[in-house]
Amino acid sequence: MTRLARTGTWPGIILAAGILAGCLVLALAFGPVSLSLGRLWELVMAGPVEGDLENAIFWQIRMPRVLVASLVGAALAVAGVVLQDLFLNPLTDPYVTGVSSGAALGATIGIVLHLSNLPWTTVLAIVGGLGTLVLVWMAARRRGRIDIFVLLLAGVTISYLASAVVTVLMIRASEDMYAIVYWLMGSFSGRGWPDVRIALVAIPFMAVPLFFTREMDILLQGEKRALELGVEVERTKRLLLVTAGVLTALAVSVSGIIGFVGLVVPHIVRLLVGPGHRSLLPVSLLVGASMMVVADLLSRTVISPNEIPVGVVTTFVGAPLFVYLLRRGRRV
Amino acid sequence: MSATRLRRLSAAILLSAVLALGAVALSACGSDGDAASPSASPTAGPITVTDDSGVEVTLDEPAMRIVSMAPANTEIAYAIGAGDKMVAGTSYDDYPEEATALPKIGDFANPSVEKIASFQPDLVLAAGGLQDKLRTKLEQLGMKVYVVDPTTYDGVIATIENVGKLAGADEGAAAVTDEMTAAQMDVRALVGDLAAATTFLEIYSEPLMTAGTGTFIDDMITIAGGENIGASAGSGFPNFSTEVLVQEDPAVYIADSGSMSKPGDIDKRPGFSELTAVKDGKVFVIDDNLIARPGPRLAEGLRELAGMIHPEAATEQ
Repeated sequence: MTRLARTGTWPGIILAAGILAGCLVLALAFGPVSLSLGRLWELVMAGPVEGDLENAIFWQIRMPRVLVASLVGAALAVAGVVLQDLFLNPLTDPYVTGVSSGAALGATIGIVLHLSNLPWTTVLAIVGGLGTLVLVWMAARRRGRIDIFVLLLAGVTISYLASAVVTVLMIRASEDMYAIVYWLMGSFSGRGWPDVRIALVAIPFMAVPLFFTREMDILLQGEKRALELGVEVERTKRLLLVTAGVLTALAVSVSGIIGFVGLVVPHIVRLLVGPGHRSLLPVSLLVGASMMVVADLLSRTVISPNEIPVGVVTTFVGAPLFVYLLRRGRRV
Repeated sequence: MSATRLRRLSAAILLSAVLALGAVALSACGSDGDAASPSASPTAGPITVTDDSGVEVTLDEPAMRIVSMAPANTEIAYAIGAGDKMVAGTSYDDYPEEATALPKIGDFANPSVEKIASFQPDLVLAAGGLQDKLRTKLEQLGMKVYVVDPTTYDGVIATIENVGKLAGADEGAAAVTDEMTAAQMDVRALVGDLAAATTFLEIYSEPLMTAGTGTFIDDMITIAGGENIGASAGSGFPNFSTEVLVQEDPAVYIADSGSMSKPGDIDKRPGFSELTAVKDGKVFVIDDNLIARPGPRLAEGLRELAGMIHPEAATEQ
């Protein structure tokens, strides 16, 4: 099972990168309008051209959509790994911190006020997500330390509170109920280049945990042991928590709340490459991106010209897989 | 809040429930029973009509106390001259002006059965979908329920005739339906020989949603000389892939005002700059009260649709 882990870090990463490249090509080629590989190459080389419908579909609709999906998938997977290992809790996903519910509240306010989707609804979602992070943070800080247990509980509590406010807004502004419900379900439909630009901001934050792989490995043995081994526990924890929070807020703000990727991908990757973060983090990043790109591909092709919300697809794939993994003997 | 928006929402919730069960088939917006058949003698004796859910509704004498559960139903009642019999409406009733002063039974989504009963109506005009499910409860309390849920333009006409009978306002109903029929004949004459123009009707912008088969909007687009692109997406109010929309390249793009879209926004969406409709300047926003409420104002909506889909014919006249 941990063969890859023993043979080193790079083979796993290269394999995962290859899989992601394959998924990207598939997702760019297939859709309601399918393209041959030759045509795909022509379009890529031609760049965005005016006056050509197929070119417009490829460059203005499909390409930004696929890019946003891959960035969101990667961000959620990295946030999932970081939070599961900080909380030492396998059931953690990026949404337990309450950041996603805060972002949902921000987006709902944007929708109810009829601010156009970009940039204001997205910006409000980011503000809502980060605001929640600050609140949870303040609740969990005691004598200069962050109590992970309190942080988890505060996150869950604030997330319920935010959801309750969203529900009230939904009832008060029932003409926008449809838009809110759809936002909450998560989707990449209609995402354009401005959304890509926001999602790109996630890349430096995805890189941060890669500099703390040794500390994260040691933290798996508990904070006390980490302190004994000379890890600056508080500083590391803070940095990683904020990173995971920002990643989640960015992901949720451009795509809505898409379940299961942040929960399941880290577990799958742990089974394949072991718990060491030097492999786990980059491979999860790549696998998360691949899974989201494929889920989005399915969501826009299975019942075309209708679309299935992408969160439904990830849950369909993720839920059975997760139950299967759990039953395989508690190795997760 | 328009009546249809909620119907759309219920369609969406239904859709996600269906998906969650793993089914791929879509079944949005229930009944096809638009065969609202007019019955024989409207004079003495019990009045029997069949509503849009296919249920026979019998009144011993014309209704004197009417509760409307949808803005469209309120419009029908006032248009046929039964406004004085209205005892309550919904908080979304905004047309005609007098209707806003009526006591309210709650909003469209959350009508209160207790509240409805408190007005002691002898006829309740409900909408389809969610409200149809309240029928049993209301009937147990001794109320007569007529469900207004037509799926074609002619179905709306038939329903207005039926409500006229139940309310003892046959003449008023006839005047309304005559105008609706006249609008249809005018429009058909106007666009008769012209080739159908591919038309996309946007019900909602984010996510993109359209009107599919089995809706009176689809029917009206066809009457107005359009070929409804949304019909390929199934029945009810399905969501629609942007990629397919750009590929289908509609000649006319019409957004209903409830979609929150402005013509200036539509042109700027990803991929839309290549659309024939955008290049030809055939992007319109239509007042959703004129096309989404199954009531008398559909006549006006139909004329407007024809003017948008075939402006060349409309200006000739």
